[in-house]
Amino acid sequence: MKKKLVKKVLCSLLLLLPSAGVLAEDKVLNVYNWSDYIAKSTIPGFEKQTGVKVKYDVYDSDDTLQAKMMTGRAGYDIVVPTSNFMAKQIEAGIYQKLDKSKIPNLANLDKALMAKIQDADPGNAHGVPWAYGTDGLGYNFTKVKAILGKDTPLDSWDILFDPKYVSKLKGCGVSVLDQANDVFAVTLHHLGKDPNSKNPADYQAAFELLKKIRPYITQFNSSGYINDLANGDICLALGWSGDVNIAKHRAAEAKRTYQLGYVIPKSGAPIWFDVMVIPKDAPHVDAALKWINYIENPEVNAAITDEVFYPTANAAARKFVKPEIANDPSIYPPESVMKTLFLLKPLPSDIMRLQNRLWTQLKTGR
Amino acid sequence: MKSLNFSRWFPSGRTTVIGVPFLFLFVFFLLPFLLVVGISFSQQQLGIPPYTPLTKMEDDVFTLVLNIGHYKFMLGDDLYFATYISSVQMAFVSTVLCLLIGYPMAYYIARASESARDTLMMMVMLPFWTSYLIRVYAWIGILKNDGFLNQFLMWLGVIDTPLRLYHTNWGVYIGMVFSYLPFMIMPLYAHLVKMDLRLLEAAYDLGARPWKAFVQVTLPLSKNGIIAGSLLVFIPAVGEYVIPELLGGSDTLMIGRVMWDEFFNNMDWPMAATVTCAMVLLLLVPMALFQHYQAKVMEEVK
Amino acid sequence: MSTMKPSKPLSYAVLGFGYAFLYLPIALLIIYSFNESKLVTVWSGFSTKWYWALLEDDELINAALLSIKIALMTATAAVVIGTWAGFVMARLNRFRLFPLFAGMINAPLVIPEVIQGISLLLLFVAMEQAFGWPEGRGVFTIWIGHVMLCVSYVAIVVQSRVRELNRSLEEAAMDLGARPLKVFFVITLPLISQALVSGWLLSFTLSLDDLVLTAFLSGPGSTTLPMVIFSRVRLGLNPEMNALATLFIIVVSVGVVAGNLYMRSVQRKRDREMQLAFNQA
Repeated sequence: MKKKLVKKVLCSLLLLLPSAGVLAEDKVLNVYNWSDYIAKSTIPGFEKQTGVKVKYDVYDSDDTLQAKMMTGRAGYDIVVPTSNFMAKQIEAGIYQKLDKSKIPNLANLDKALMAKIQDADPGNAHGVPWAYGTDGLGYNFTKVKAILGKDTPLDSWDILFDPKYVSKLKGCGVSVLDQANDVFAVTLHHLGKDPNSKNPADYQAAFELLKKIRPYITQFNSSGYINDLANGDICLALGWSGDVNIAKHRAAEAKRTYQLGYVIPKSGAPIWFDVMVIPKDAPHVDAALKWINYIENPEVNAAITDEVFYPTANAAARKFVKPEIANDPSIYPPESVMKTLFLLKPLPSDIMRLQNRLWTQLKTGR
Repeated sequence: MKSLNFSRWFPSGRTTVIGVPFLFLFVFFLLPFLLVVGISFSQQQLGIPPYTPLTKMEDDVFTLVLNIGHYKFMLGDDLYFATYISSVQMAFVSTVLCLLIGYPMAYYIARASESARDTLMMMVMLPFWTSYLIRVYAWIGILKNDGFLNQFLMWLGVIDTPLRLYHTNWGVYIGMVFSYLPFMIMPLYAHLVKMDLRLLEAAYDLGARPWKAFVQVTLPLSKNGIIAGSLLVFIPAVGEYVIPELLGGSDTLMIGRVMWDEFFNNMDWPMAATVTCAMVLLLLVPMALFQHYQAKVMEEVK
Repeated sequence: MSTMKPSKPLSYAVLGFGYAFLYLPIALLIIYSFNESKLVTVWSGFSTKWYWALLEDDELINAALLSIKIALMTATAAVVIGTWAGFVMARLNRFRLFPLFAGMINAPLVIPEVIQGISLLLLFVAMEQAFGWPEGRGVFTIWIGHVMLCVSYVAIVVQSRVRELNRSLEEAAMDLGARPLKVFFVITLPLISQALVSGWLLSFTLSLDDLVLTAFLSGPGSTTLPMVIFSRVRLGLNPEMNALATLFIIVVSVGVVAGNLYMRSVQRKRDREMQLAFNQA
């Protein structure tokens, strides 16, 4: 009993120590975000406005982020997990609730979109979306049409999942995201099953289908495919909306003669949100809140969309976005398409394990 | 007298002198290993840290829970087994290729004139000093489908369609040989250069053909160099991560990559620890060989 | 005697092939750093614009500065500890745990870095759980990891040099009443200084180049140059990387060649003096 008391006193004393430092104004902010996901002007603008210096690191998969966070004391103030990963991490108790009174710009956010991530984050208590996007097919239209003929409908998952089509595309290169989650969800959806299924048998079925098209997949890749698509090394990619649009932009810049483009298949596709959250052990909470508020400034927000081709949940920002982007249905899905999209949800850990396992098996072709 | 003098002043200082580096190595080299062994017996959990503690103290009852599930899983799983086999196989092929290229080079460098030798050895070592990543990167541009090698071969008319080398096992072999070649040449050269040439002369005088003289005299004399070089290439190559990741395909099975993925992607630390333990076990024999060889070299210097 | 000489054409062919294999990729890398096009494999004209782009790349410059800082810290610490350990290996190798000690020195030379990275990270995490230190990961943990990587190399270089030493100088000093520590700093250390310099340089390059250990041990704001290069290389070829690589190669080559020439001249001078001393005696 006595020991416990001593321990308690010691602990509270220890707790006092760092808090003395926190009282002073935060001068640094550690941000950990996806690669190729920010405008050039974003950080300088924030530094100028607040006097806080930003240390910006990047990752290219949710798994990397999760591993860093779970190691403990990663030291970041802002991280940007995808909503389905965020849900599990919130459950694990590693993020703190936001002090919304310090983020007046939250008023700019689209209510309908915010409601969509309530599943992952009840009451939107922990996170504010950075951007959202869809999974779909990225094409080198010129090459694909030359091979498959003009009349083959390209707005269908069949192009990827039907060996009849995909086998012909092997020669010009087929890339699939290296994300077990995304690919299994799409496959399950294509099979007419629940994309967030919790039934192991469904995953086996999806695996069987994927195995059939495995010989025609030339690479599994979640970041390099942008350049490969732009350079004509691949002609079909299961990829993310903004990335494919970046590739299209780069190809145009390099004066390539072929046409690239992004298509959301008619039957529907996954939609996801990358959400800014503050870890519990963040050293600079105040600066982090300032950052979120700054990002939700409509003009700052629009500048990001202009550069990375991902829309944000900031409704007020849309009118500042370049019109050719704001009116592009492959970037901002119109209401009719929005209805067909489905959100990826967190899965129990045994399903995750099974997924990862099958994924490794698939990739190594065993 | 002298040695007595030494031992008189050392005993007090001696322990400290030995103890400090010993402790350093123990804490940062051996202790981490023991931890890895420990964690391989724990369980994955979603939290910080992502594994469960092995021991519990509850109401004065000390419990130790060892979970051997990961070992069972690994042994019963053909994927891990295949990965180990494939890593060893790839490392072995790389080692043999290194030897095939490295031995003639080391041989001719050792036989070059004395002034040329230093320059030639420096030229072998120079790439080793430049960044490893950059050297691997250089090969991407060469091996790609529209890379230099394919452009060159197509220009020569040797091939019509580009060879697929980038993102295949061939890419990994080329990258490994390129990166590890200096490690093979160094010990080989060291042995070949100090070889007593009179032995060869004697063989020739006795009428041996050059080829036979090489097999019966030179090769046995450079045996230790071959062993050292091969181990210096083989052991790190088994656990290589960067080369298969950058040059290999998604079907290139290497244990270093699996460990990296278990750790960073699947967040399964206990499983990663288990794979690590198994890998250390696998490498124990070659490492013991290496240690034995190192000890021998030290004896020689004495 | 003439039969002894290896055949000239064969020797040229073998060495020519070997060096072409080692240097052609580097040569191509350098040539294409002056390519105008963003596409690395297609030549479209001479340009130095990628070098100017490097100057404006803050991420790269910051990472490079951090890498150099860590490499300096690592090399210095590794030389101190490595020399100490190497000296123990050479002179004080008659204690019971010596085989273990020698094993701990030799093993890191060959052990795959992924293993070392995982085990060190687990150590730091466990230490943090137990005593709350080190707080998170960053420059400090990377530093320790790199020192572990380099200590073995330094120790082995130093121990072989110490073994070659003629002990008479040290013994003479001891006979004159100098304390052992003083003997070490005044006599032994200068005698092995060459080994220390090469150990320092080797540690510096090893640390500057390390990716795997760093990836396991880094924290916020401690992104080193290899980490930046790796993440960009995964995205594909990039002429800016070629420019960076070229600069890197030039600096290192000049350094290594100059260092080698210097060492050789020192060696020659020493040989000459020895010869002179012998002749006089």
